[in-house]
Amino acid sequence: MPGWQALHEEFADEGFSVVTVALDLLPEKATPWIHAAAPTHPALIDSAHLSDELFGFNNVPMAVWIDESGTLVRPAASASIEGRRTTTVPDHLPDPVKALIAEAGRIPDIASEYRAAVVDWIQKGSESRFALSPHQVIEHSLPRDRSHAEAAAEFELGQHLYQSVGRSAAVPHWRRAHNLDPSNWTYKRQAWTLETTAEGAPSDLMQPATEIYDGNWLSDVLAAGGGEQYITIPHDLEK
Amino acid sequence: MILHQLTVDPAEFEKRTGWEAKPEGLCKGDACVPAPQVRTPEGQLDVQVLSDRLGMPLVTDEATNTHALGPAGLGRSLTTAVAPELELPDYQSTAGPQPFRLSSLLGRKVLLVAWASW
Repeated sequence: MPGWQALHEEFADEGFSVVTVALDLLPEKATPWIHAAAPTHPALIDSAHLSDELFGFNNVPMAVWIDESGTLVRPAASASIEGRRTTTVPDHLPDPVKALIAEAGRIPDIASEYRAAVVDWIQKGSESRFALSPHQVIEHSLPRDRSHAEAAAEFELGQHLYQSVGRSAAVPHWRRAHNLDPSNWTYKRQAWTLETTAEGAPSDLMQPATEIYDGNWLSDVLAAGGGEQYITIPHDLEK
Repeated sequence: MILHQLTVDPAEFEKRTGWEAKPEGLCKGDACVPAPQVRTPEGQLDVQVLSDRLGMPLVTDEATNTHALGPAGLGRSLTTAVAPELELPDYQSTAGPQPFRLSSLLGRKVLLVAWASW
């Protein structure tokens, strides 16, 4: 959040706006982060994960770019603006936690390349090599076949039932969503975190194994090829 | 889209999905899909026809008789580069949420970024 706010402030006078969207079923989990960042840009909360469906987000952080005419010039792709700090893993931590931190450390850090691409677009507009044509935007948007779309329907049904009936009504639909589209991390991480966050805690970024769901963050990252494969880097952003 | 029956109001369907029922078919941005049988005699849209024509899976929770119609599974997550309308509450002010529409930023470049507390 602070990095996006800084980008917005730097370029707001050049006709550029950041809009952040929190994919949080429970808005009260997102608001403390928003208020701490004191944004001067729109800071939305999408408790029904509508924007997953409309823009094709399947993990966070991901972003789309929209030009002055309301046309997408970059489809949903991994987005990052603040470089990761290197951390040393304390020896006393339990092995699964150490393994998780190690895997998270292997996620490619694209912050400097991403920021440079955004600034290039802000300054050059459609002349920027990062601004794609409408045809390219559709071509490079993430695949959505029937099983991806069915996963979206099951996820939405689950979130509706979570709010209207309760947690146990949601779980079978979320389990189906996870099986139908294992590549969608928002469906999985949203469901896991509701099981693993301690009472009163803001959120759980570790998302360890539970008896409710088949997977967890570490097992699913390893199954999908490890931290190196966790985000999809557009070909024109590679180092 | 959450449904409690298998017909839907055309305006509600367009607001939620971006697909508009026009004489030439179901259209979103510059893409149109023919759907001759989609309108019911009452002027509603037949959800089963929407599901078939747009590849929108229809799933049901039997216990509550609640349906969800998924997005169009036509191959890619975007079928047009025209940005959809997005209406969500804006929590920028500590005074409380305010209504926000993405179209209010037409004329500016927008970077829309998804994040989460988890």
